[in-house]
Amino acid sequence: MVATCAAATFAFFCLQLAPGDPATALGEGVPPSVLESRRAVYGYDAPVVVQYARWVSAVVRGDLGWSISQQRPAAAVVLDALPNSLMLVLPGVLLAVLVGSALGAWQGIHARSMGDRISNTFVFVLYALPEFWIALCLLLLFSVIWPVFPSGGLVRDTYIYMNRADQLVDRLWHLALPCLVIAVFDAAALARYQRESMRDTLEQPFVRTARAAGLPWTRVYTQAWRASLLPVLTVLGILVPLNIMGVVFVEQVFSWPGMGLTLFNAITARDYDVVAACVIVGGVVIAIAGIVVDVLREVADPRLRMRDASTAVRSSTRPAA
Amino acid sequence: MRPVPASRPRLSPTGRLARVVGALTLATATACGGGDQTVVATGENGGTLIVAVPAEPSTLFPPQIIGTQGGAVVSAIFDKLADIGPALETNGDAGFQRRLATSWSWAADSLSIAFVLDSAARWHDGAPVRAADVAYTFRVYTDDSVGASNRSLLGNIDSVTVRDDRTVEYWFKRRMPQQFYDATYNMYILPSHLLDSIPMAQLGRSAFARNPVGTGRFRFARWEPGQRIEVVADTTNARGRAKLDRVVWSITPDLGAATIKLFAGEADFLETIGLENVAQVAQSPSLRMVLNPALNYNFVAFNQRDPADNSKPHPVFGDSLVRRALTMAVDRRALVKNVLDSLGRVSFGPAPRALMPDTAAFTQLPYDVARAKALLDSAGWRDSNNDGVRDKNGRELAFEIFVPISSMTRQRFAVLLQEQYRAVGVKASPVLLEINALQERIPEKRFDSYLGGIAASPGLVGVRQSWMTDGESNEVKYNSRAFDAFADSALSSFDAAQSRRLWARAFQQAVNDAPVLWLFEPQTPVVLHKRFIVPSLRADGWYSDLADWRVDPTQRIDRDRIGLVPAGGAR
Repeated sequence: MVATCAAATFAFFCLQLAPGDPATALGEGVPPSVLESRRAVYGYDAPVVVQYARWVSAVVRGDLGWSISQQRPAAAVVLDALPNSLMLVLPGVLLAVLVGSALGAWQGIHARSMGDRISNTFVFVLYALPEFWIALCLLLLFSVIWPVFPSGGLVRDTYIYMNRADQLVDRLWHLALPCLVIAVFDAAALARYQRESMRDTLEQPFVRTARAAGLPWTRVYTQAWRASLLPVLTVLGILVPLNIMGVVFVEQVFSWPGMGLTLFNAITARDYDVVAACVIVGGVVIAIAGIVVDVLREVADPRLRMRDASTAVRSSTRPAA
Repeated sequence: MRPVPASRPRLSPTGRLARVVGALTLATATACGGGDQTVVATGENGGTLIVAVPAEPSTLFPPQIIGTQGGAVVSAIFDKLADIGPALETNGDAGFQRRLATSWSWAADSLSIAFVLDSAARWHDGAPVRAADVAYTFRVYTDDSVGASNRSLLGNIDSVTVRDDRTVEYWFKRRMPQQFYDATYNMYILPSHLLDSIPMAQLGRSAFARNPVGTGRFRFARWEPGQRIEVVADTTNARGRAKLDRVVWSITPDLGAATIKLFAGEADFLETIGLENVAQVAQSPSLRMVLNPALNYNFVAFNQRDPADNSKPHPVFGDSLVRRALTMAVDRRALVKNVLDSLGRVSFGPAPRALMPDTAAFTQLPYDVARAKALLDSAGWRDSNNDGVRDKNGRELAFEIFVPISSMTRQRFAVLLQEQYRAVGVKASPVLLEINALQERIPEKRFDSYLGGIAASPGLVGVRQSWMTDGESNEVKYNSRAFDAFADSALSSFDAAQSRRLWARAFQQAVNDAPVLWLFEPQTPVVLHKRFIVPSLRADGWYSDLADWRVDPTQRIDRDRIGLVPAGGAR
């Protein structure tokens, strides 16, 4: 909580240091009198410290402020964007985990084989490509040359006039390309970590023991894969919040009004309250992702649970001083 | 990229499969409503227009609208008392068309105009339009706490009074040719019965600003933040329903994606098309370009005050000889051709050419490198150390040209200008700036020069604000008593011929003084689906006659057949 508030404060002052203010963001050709009156109406003519004090007192009351660029509460702006981001990122990351983890594990098992080298080069290229470039390529391929998917947006502009079944299909149809971009990029990242982790795990003594004991290969690999997930889960804990807050270009190319695009637009419009609100929500998302990853790590590796349990027993049986 | 018909794309086998699988898998999971169609499009009426726009407006509260995105939506929902005619004539009431007012009469001394409101006019919530609404509107637009973007244009209106329930009177401070324009063009009438209980300072934050109620031939339907704004035809409107069923402004932040959306048939209209896509549009079987005679003109602004000390003249641009030389050193025609090809033309002076009464009545400074060099020599700028850059009293003839990083067009102009100035021994350095950084520097006069533009209003009243000595938007501090006198006299003259002559002299003065390098006027066409039949686009806004746009009944596509939901049913 403290870290989140500190980050929001930092963002607030950083944006204040940047040139311009919400009035200059109105664009060129706006008369100076209009700029001045807008500053006065929204309190941006006050010293930065006063603005900060106003913001803090509002936040303490649960009010994240007012978006000058959208003329509605900053909380509403963020709460509109967050579900859109989750809707995009969670399926994308899930797909990435399935593909990346499977591919990385396969590469780890067949390390240094021809298949590993070819697939590794492919993964490396995908990892190196910018997301927006992948997005534009997919858009060009599947929206223009081969018009299978729509070019952008959460849904079609006439969505509300469709029947429910069509609405559902329309949502999925619009989700496909942006989700695929995220999945491709994240799968490449996860595959690289999974490959290295799998290779290391296969050299662990417990794997050699299992092999020596005559366990079937499938079971050995399954256990090794499970043990190799720890670094991958750690990366996942970073990737999810990073995607929720940071896939700006994907959201821009696909006109997807998520958190990244909202934050980017707020910075451009010098919309201080929305930037701070995004940072606060981003902090909460990171915290939640951390908790979820901790739980998943314990599920993946029983030793962590046992270690925690033994620590708890030791501390409870410690003799009184 | 190849253009495809703008009808709904035919799904490939994979696409169909995806749709079927999706439907079977998740058919029970949806909780969304919809599909309440009641009136199917027939005859002349009907159709859906989808406009791809790069950004969403911050508000739909008319006094606070800035920019075309919000302007287009508000223009569809709200009415003025009367609207300017297609010729954009601002003197007197000639050409003005009735909107909320059915008639008007001038006082004998011409210092007041009485407007009689249409007795059939209703707000979209059913309440009648009253004179009190008009008086209230004036109070809102001129209130300090509202921050209305047009407030400075209402300075000649002294007050607005209610004579009776249907008659409202505008009182003016001074008899001017543009009185009628001032009274009608700059204010959309607001519903006092919905707003007068809200403090003025809170109006922009009220629910009304995002859910407006107007009197226009379209009524507000919905605003899905970051996605779209929709208006639908008001079937009970006193002036007749809009011919289209609905208009959707679809927010598409990336211009490339917006263009793809257009080619893919998911949008029908794009206001700005990249030069590189013009040929594709021309070849498209479903799209066409329509001339959009916008009132924009662009220039290189020469700051006539020293950026370090605004009380002193600029060491370079303070001298009109240097400014004239810098104008004559540039082959503007070639530059415009190079950057914009046929989608632009040379700007002639402190107004768009479309608003100038007679462009043949004044002459331009010629492109003449030899004379430009001679002028610089005579101004004392010579290359004393043979380094290719002129200097004077130890100062190089060098300056920065600030260019907004968001405008590729202006960046191209800046690079070409740099080359042309180099040929006469002037070192011009383009500097890319984020728009906020640029907008912060301009009012404080912390610049040498910048590539800027103005979107003018009809008439030439904006000249006062932008170029006269005391004009609040005179960013370069152009100071010419002769120009002020000619322009002020022209704006005050009731004699059209005399006004035209005075404007010619004012423009000639501005050309000779060269306070800026008048550079280009974009002539970018809008792109529209061929099934739409539209009247000529008005230069002050392509959307001005949106209610009269219609779809050719023989070319309707799926979304044109959706029909119209009854009032309130679409919410």
